[in-house]
Amino acid sequence: MKLEGAVPSRVLDTIRAPFLAAGGARLEAPIVQPLSLFLDLAGEAMRERLFIVQSPTGEEACLRPDFTILAAKAHLESGAATGRYRYEGHAFRVAPPGSGRAEEFLQIGLEAFEAGDAAQADASMAAIAWQAAVAGGREDLTLLLGDVGLFSALIDSLGLAPALAARIRRSFASPRRLRAEIASARSEEAPRSSDGGRLASLLAGLAEDEAAMVLSEIWSLAGIEPVGGRSAASIAHRLAEKAASAAAPRLTPEQADAISTYLAIADAPRPALEAVSRLPIAHPQALAEAIGAWERRLAALEQLGAPSDRLRLSTAFGRALGYYDGMLFEIRSEALGAEAPVAAGGRYDSLPARLGGGTTVGAVGCVVRPGRAWVGGAA
Amino acid sequence: MSGLILAIPSKGRLKEQVDSWLADCGLRPRTVGGARGYLAELEGLPEIQVRLASAGDIAASLAAGDIHLGVTGEDLLAELRDAGGAEVMLLNALGFGRADLVVAAPRSWIDVQTMADVDDIAHAYLARTGRRLRVATKYLVQARAFFARHGIADYRLVESGGATEGAPAAGLAELVIDITSTGDTLAANGLKVLDDGVILRSQAHLAASPRAAWSDAAMGAARRLLGIVEARARGKAMASLIWPAAQDSDARAALAPFAPPGDAPRANGLLVRGADLFAATAALAAKGVGPVSVTRPAYVFEAQSEAAERLAAAVGLEPEPAKV
Repeated sequence: MKLEGAVPSRVLDTIRAPFLAAGGARLEAPIVQPLSLFLDLAGEAMRERLFIVQSPTGEEACLRPDFTILAAKAHLESGAATGRYRYEGHAFRVAPPGSGRAEEFLQIGLEAFEAGDAAQADASMAAIAWQAAVAGGREDLTLLLGDVGLFSALIDSLGLAPALAARIRRSFASPRRLRAEIASARSEEAPRSSDGGRLASLLAGLAEDEAAMVLSEIWSLAGIEPVGGRSAASIAHRLAEKAASAAAPRLTPEQADAISTYLAIADAPRPALEAVSRLPIAHPQALAEAIGAWERRLAALEQLGAPSDRLRLSTAFGRALGYYDGMLFEIRSEALGAEAPVAAGGRYDSLPARLGGGTTVGAVGCVVRPGRAWVGGAA
Repeated sequence: MSGLILAIPSKGRLKEQVDSWLADCGLRPRTVGGARGYLAELEGLPEIQVRLASAGDIAASLAAGDIHLGVTGEDLLAELRDAGGAEVMLLNALGFGRADLVVAAPRSWIDVQTMADVDDIAHAYLARTGRRLRVATKYLVQARAFFARHGIADYRLVESGGATEGAPAAGLAELVIDITSTGDTLAANGLKVLDDGVILRSQAHLAASPRAAWSDAAMGAARRLLGIVEARARGKAMASLIWPAAQDSDARAALAPFAPPGDAPRANGLLVRGADLFAATAALAAKGVGPVSVTRPAYVFEAQSEAAERLAAAVGLEPEPAKV
């Protein structure tokens, strides 16, 4: 297993300083964690990157791949409304074969579960990560910004039917599916309706509880054993949704163009936001709010010392990066490349709820890899 | 490990099919040693050491390089495929042991026909319950790759050793990924295959392990084995026509469209593909060529086996000089 080289302690002190200044309780967490915690939240794709260990009683566990989920869990268990947690320790990820990446590495990070001005908090996190990253001595760093929420705002501003809007919003994470939606909008062919056939459209025409009863009767007549935990009511409900979505199944060519143009925007932040605000859309209000939030983030970043000539905003960035649902960022070194970011972070407001907590406060954090930040280290 | 080691299935329908196939090639396997019966010999190729093992163990042994050659299902080999290193090499598809690796959902879910529907359901399920849809399977690698290709991330795999198809009824999972041949077991468990849910159409393959310790002797034996099984397959797929010598030029003209490329003609005869046989005989009759006798060759041997040369190249042994 490839290990990182050690970072000189004076360099580590400088990298650590912005995190100490930000305050927060020191988070300690066991290296060995239950496997289901990460798979439930991050999905099966995470499994290949985890070092899995098995206890003698057969439970599956893994070596912690990061601290964010652990911080969220600790915060929920504390019962406090708000909290801020700083951590420093080794994390473990299986490297893709042939990549030569370290599989055990040091992380220093901060997670904040707080109410208040989200845009300001986002900027502070990014600024902390920036100060820590440059303390490693590299001079070729860029701060790449993205925003999952901005895409969502764009979709809101297009005025799509709810089922279609939900589908497009979900495809943000899958470049292939989004391309397919855009291609389908531009093609001449009538949309292939997967509305479930005649039975489905008949059921969709009934009131939902009636449809559920009819469905149960049909199952019993056809000798179908209902397995799999979805009730007749929820299946009938979805049939109704599918029928509705079949009526408005796809984007118009103009909407597809607006989305394509949006996804191609990658520039210094202000020109990028300008390009976004120039998109031809039906309801500019939803988008205007999100753009306004960005103005405040950028102002705060400038004030906190992040050099504006090193910032970049890419609308397509962050598409498959797990649980972030708002602003997100990476700090990259030209020497190390896009596959080995020096630092990363973002907002993940909906994650605590999935762990069983409330949704009253936001969640935002950042993490730095000193082994990469240090200019004297290998990749 | 200087002699060639070949592993064949030790039990079940696949064992019967592999034994018949080998016997049909003139290589009937005979168990040797004691009552245990896990070692065997091939009639006609006594230099090959044959081991009997389960299809799963054969796949694992090939991946590990413990044996040179093995017969097992493509589904099991695909599951062990890893990104780096010398992969198990598929030499010949054998045409039996066919089964599809499929994604199956409850038949009662009449609103779910495709993977896109699964994507919708999975997303809604996660949003509503905070838990991911569970997919029971023992084919973890192929399951993940297939779901990733369809852009679905909101699911969990539940590893299942056996009786995977009963998992939804037992409340252990919502979906299933498993091997099916007739579909009867799926239906009996209240499941159906999704329209675009076929992950792999698997069949039995003769496969090789480039990672194993290959000697010249082992490669020589592999060449002989491959030569024989390929010759038998070729023979069964071809027909030999013979016509009177005096009508040779008419016959050649009539059969120009049927001669395989690069074919070296025989004296007043030709090997054609079995599928072309009756079209060829009709063409000859149309030219007035007759009588034409047809025989089915038992074997058609070529000087070189393409699969053997691929294997030799992968293993780094000298390829046989190409015969001109």
